[in-house]
Amino acid sequence: MSKIWTICLCASLAFLVGCSSGGKKVSRIDSNSVTDLSGAWNDTDSRLVADEMITDCLNRPWYQTMIQQKNGQVPTVVIGQVRNKSHEHINVETFIKDIERALINSGKADFVANAEERTELRNELASQAGNATEETRKDAGQEIGADLMLTGTLNSIVDQEGGEQVIYYQVDMELTDIQSHKKVWIGDKKIKKYVSQSSVKM
Amino acid sequence: MKRIFLLLAAFLLASCANKSMTRYEELAPTLEKKGFEATIAQVKKKQKDLYGSNSEFLYYYDLGVLHHYNRNFDESIKNFEKAEKINDDLYTKSVTNEAAAILTNDNIRPYRARPFEILTMYEFQILNYLAKMDLDGALVEVKRSQIAMNRLYQKDADKVNDNGFLRYLSALVYDLEGEQDDAAIAYYKTVKAYDESKMGLPNEVFEFVTESLRRMDREDDIRALKKKELASTPKATAVQEMGQEIIVIGYAGHSPILGEMYLSGTFVSGGVMNLYYKDGETGQRNSFTLVAPPVAGAGSGTFHIGFALPEVRKHPSRVNRFEVSLDGKTRIKPEKVMDVDGELRQNMEDEKTSTITRTAVRVTLRTIAAQKAKSATNTGNGLFDLVKNIGMDVAQGQLEQADLRVGLFLPNSFYMTRLPVEPGSHSVSVAAQGSHGETVGVYNFDKIPVKKGQKVLLIVPAIK
Repeated sequence: MSKIWTICLCASLAFLVGCSSGGKKVSRIDSNSVTDLSGAWNDTDSRLVADEMITDCLNRPWYQTMIQQKNGQVPTVVIGQVRNKSHEHINVETFIKDIERALINSGKADFVANAEERTELRNELASQAGNATEETRKDAGQEIGADLMLTGTLNSIVDQEGGEQVIYYQVDMELTDIQSHKKVWIGDKKIKKYVSQSSVKM
Repeated sequence: MKRIFLLLAAFLLASCANKSMTRYEELAPTLEKKGFEATIAQVKKKQKDLYGSNSEFLYYYDLGVLHHYNRNFDESIKNFEKAEKINDDLYTKSVTNEAAAILTNDNIRPYRARPFEILTMYEFQILNYLAKMDLDGALVEVKRSQIAMNRLYQKDADKVNDNGFLRYLSALVYDLEGEQDDAAIAYYKTVKAYDESKMGLPNEVFEFVTESLRRMDREDDIRALKKKELASTPKATAVQEMGQEIIVIGYAGHSPILGEMYLSGTFVSGGVMNLYYKDGETGQRNSFTLVAPPVAGAGSGTFHIGFALPEVRKHPSRVNRFEVSLDGKTRIKPEKVMDVDGELRQNMEDEKTSTITRTAVRVTLRTIAAQKAKSATNTGNGLFDLVKNIGMDVAQGQLEQADLRVGLFLPNSFYMTRLPVEPGSHSVSVAAQGSHGETVGVYNFDKIPVKKGQKVLLIVPAIK
């Protein structure tokens, strides 16, 4: 009889546990804090990679050479294509914004709008030509041409066995001289994560 | 007090009703009569009643499939992502859920996707991104599908966890990305995967495989496939040389569903289990004998048992194939590239032993528990005991339900053809045909703009 009691108790508890649902709790955290929930690429990875790569890029010998070539003026950079070839749907746009922020905040380079933004700006310029007053109208043909283009790829390798997973991300970036097509800097940043998932829970 | 507790437990357990048949009975007519939009609305409206928390994967999976048919590719992507997340989380098994399932039935456990459902999910995701012309997105899904496939093989290396159509799509995406080596490897694996499955290798697929392997100087790989080598590959070569193509994907018919097969018989503990059942498709009565699992506390008694197992039931499909016409001239019959019906049957075959064993143990345990509960709760009042015992038998019978959960809206078969075209505007007409070649429906795509180097995906959801 005691076994039946145990069985009934377990079954009832299981049912009740299965039917229960947890409440939602929200708390604010520092946007610079490191948060790893799923093991996937996240804002911390994006920010750290962008900061470290731009710091590395601007502290290499090419930089002084270019400054001399431009008579002390900082180089102008445009962000080209950053391809996501990883196994995750990474928001490349936020990564590019992190790179742009790191570049501007360094004070060591100017950068101009990318191809998509330039098209929008040119449309605006064309619209001004027919609609804005002469004093406020902006002239066409006054854009600053970039000296260098920054391009990159995000790659990943996943190794897994049972509930264990090692995720290896590699971000490769290249800075190319637009005039000569010479690659002036190639950098990479690697991130390795270990993710484990238990096979049982109560 | 004890009796109240027993009744409460029985009530709680019996209330876990099998929603699978209700889901099918309610949603299939809506799909047939009102179309995808109305079915999506119905699925959302009745989420709790028709799916519940234990079939959350299926809820998002079904929505993902329906949105794909309805060309809401962004919505389809979102729903499949949720389904994928749920499936990943279910790697961790709940001890309480598993224990509860032993006492009641498998429906109390969260639904774990069948291997072919997981792989089909990635196929739809790749197609979603291709339809959106987001090649990088499609490539991400290709890589995710390979991780998922590895995981399936790690879990069960003896079963077929590969899929020719998924490999073929992967090769296509690598090709479009310009990653020719990866494409050649994926094409090679496509043939291997089709060979592992029961459906044959489609001719057009083999043409593209051959073209890719030859282009990449992998003649040895072609020989290793041990197929009759092709003298030429006109269509695949044209696709490579011209650069543009229209890819037609047709979904024909409706995938089968699962019905309940009720078995009854006698159990002799530590001896044998004689079972009888009626075949759902043939109507034939069959019997078989199993070695009875030893059950603690069962003694040597012999008693009657009854249990339910899932069985595949064909859903009548009016569409069996397609005929594609390009610019009113070329007439092509796309080949079948994926057989969902066959995949489900293979899965049921793979799972047969474990399902029967689990069910037999569960039913035996429950029957013994019920027998003991009956004698333990006897009051000596003949009438009361009779009513109580009948009630317990009914409650126990109600608990026995086969797990009939499966994706509801998959097509019976996937068809595909690739059409090399010149840049410009093209018209494509796709006739959905029945088994005798009669036209069931026509899908027209007028003035499709194809830019230089562009691949345009056309989806024909003839789920009829």
